[in-house]
Amino acid sequence: MTAFWARNRLIVLAYAAMLVLLLVTSLFSPGFLAESNLRSVVVLAAFVGIVAFGQTFVIIGGGIDLSLPWVLNCAAILMTAFAGGQDVALLWLVPLLLAAGAVIGLLNGVGVAVFGVPPIIMTLATNVILQGLILVYTGGAPTPTAPPLIQFLAVGRLGPVPVVALIWAVLASIAWVLLSRAAFGRYLYALGTSRTVAEYSGVPTLRTAVLTYVISGAGAALGGMLLTGYSGQAYLGMGDPYLFTSIAAVAIGGASILGGSGHYVGTIAGALVLTVLGGLLPALRLSSGALLVVYGAVILLTVAVGSESFGGIAAAILRRRRGQDPAPRK
Amino acid sequence: MNRPASNIGGIAASPLTNNGDAPPAPRRQFDARGYALDRAPFLVACLMLVVIVGLYGSLQSGVFTLDELNLDTTATLTLLLAATGQTIVLLRGGIDLSIGGVISFGTVLAATHFGDDPGSVLLWSAIVLAVGFGVGMLNGLLISALRLQPFLITLATWSILSGASLMVLPTDGGQVPSWWQAIGSASWLGLASPVWMLLALLVFWFWFRSTRLGIALKATGSNERSAFLSGVSLTRMNLVTYGLSGLFAAAAALYLTTQTGAGSPTIGKDYILPSVAAAVIGGVSLFGGRGNLAGTAVGAFILTIIGNLVFVLHVSSYWQPVAQGAILLIAVLASSLAEKAAQGQDR
Repeated sequence: MTAFWARNRLIVLAYAAMLVLLLVTSLFSPGFLAESNLRSVVVLAAFVGIVAFGQTFVIIGGGIDLSLPWVLNCAAILMTAFAGGQDVALLWLVPLLLAAGAVIGLLNGVGVAVFGVPPIIMTLATNVILQGLILVYTGGAPTPTAPPLIQFLAVGRLGPVPVVALIWAVLASIAWVLLSRAAFGRYLYALGTSRTVAEYSGVPTLRTAVLTYVISGAGAALGGMLLTGYSGQAYLGMGDPYLFTSIAAVAIGGASILGGSGHYVGTIAGALVLTVLGGLLPALRLSSGALLVVYGAVILLTVAVGSESFGGIAAAILRRRRGQDPAPRK
Repeated sequence: MNRPASNIGGIAASPLTNNGDAPPAPRRQFDARGYALDRAPFLVACLMLVVIVGLYGSLQSGVFTLDELNLDTTATLTLLLAATGQTIVLLRGGIDLSIGGVISFGTVLAATHFGDDPGSVLLWSAIVLAVGFGVGMLNGLLISALRLQPFLITLATWSILSGASLMVLPTDGGQVPSWWQAIGSASWLGLASPVWMLLALLVFWFWFRSTRLGIALKATGSNERSAFLSGVSLTRMNLVTYGLSGLFAAAAALYLTTQTGAGSPTIGKDYILPSVAAAVIGGVSLFGGRGNLAGTAVGAFILTIIGNLVFVLHVSSYWQPVAQGAILLIAVLASSLAEKAAQGQDR
């Protein structure tokens, strides 16, 4: 139990925070815990969770992917443009765009892992290049509406369960298997903790690092296509908010941005926390500016609680209060 | 098997220095290759700037005039001021995303509180600068005290300040007095005021880099542990570097209001990643310790003039981000290849 607590303290805390937020929100807006409202919270969180899927792997591996917004946006625009509102074209479009997202991820991964380009710069460059290219392609004009099948996947329901939540659940199981049951997961944590040690221990660091960006690219493409179903069509800039939320969800879920720790189980809680917060503030009649302030404060709070020296400082304060000598400082 | 004392290690001591003392130190040779590799990213950036300006000049008349210099500097200075703070933080081995929030908040404060009288403008300029410096110090404090990652801390403070800006001024608007705007377009000796500010910035850097702080900054960025063992206080270093970054971001905000004449609660995010890009294009290493402000200035001008070039090529202006991204990639590949070559040489 203690070992479990030590390893998963931050993830448990993230879920606890989510439950507290849910209760607090329901106090201020009584209808919040109604089935229909909870369903819409899960749907909104699912999009954050799906986009943050790849980000989780990249961050555990010690990298970061800033190219998510426009990989997502490109997939969304190309999908609606080529499908023309018809389902049939999805048969070849969906696999093709997932592969295209993976190829962008491959480029990022090769730049980072093979050429030693800092991940921030590499993925930033792909992001602006994709942004420019898709703007040139569309000329700023809107694209047709999303095909009905995609709309069903994004907003439809199977019985009481939203379809997109099922997709999210499938992704979560894949992530759990990859991180907790597969050799890839062990390689990934080793790589994120110390690349040098991992390399000397026989971990295929190059392959593992590149693969995280490939997952991220494909995941962003999937998120983009599903999002068109939610909003009915693709529009320029639709991916921009997801850069911040994907990183925030992973961080709130307890992963260190330096790599080597975290789990997608935590990211799920992070996505839910962000979404519930988004519902709490309108209930308190606060503006969108206040939402950003609260987001920032929550990130500060979670990374502070997660930092090692926070535990040390808290322990020292407790000890002093009990009248004992504080631990000698290093 | 007894070797003569003067033949230690199989090397015969030179007759000229054969006085029985320690063997002579080998003469330090000027290491041309190492020097070139060290400067390669900066030189690549200069070369790119020359090529871009050359192309631009061959397609458009009147490029090689003072007017063009004035125009381009006026357009670049906000980015350059933001990138100056970013350069300081990058040299220390950190990163500052909060400058976006500081810039938004600065323009919003200026646009809502600047009155017509110089007194209120001075007061609120001082407040904007103090807020920038204070937020930066807070970043530095959190990073030091809790040993947290700069990326997340400054991401959080960026979010908080962006939100605060939206609460002060929900949409673009407000105004600054016209005489304040005139400062940004004044000129002296044929050079516009932004050019003078640019020169002042470079003079500042020339002085700053050889101060105790400037030297300690690069030392800390190169190797934190050995800088600490040499007596550099890492806490004070974080406070000062992030504080300066916030201060320069606030200065960028004030300059920006002389150009736009209004405040915008969302404009800051347009400068976060470009400020990193300008520094990296100019040869500042994201791993700390390498680079200087001259490089960052070159990088900032490249990012601006590439826009002019796209314009005179009569292609869609949407090609501008593509060109900027490509240049960023070329620059960063050049510097990481040079770094790898330099490491290979050391081995």
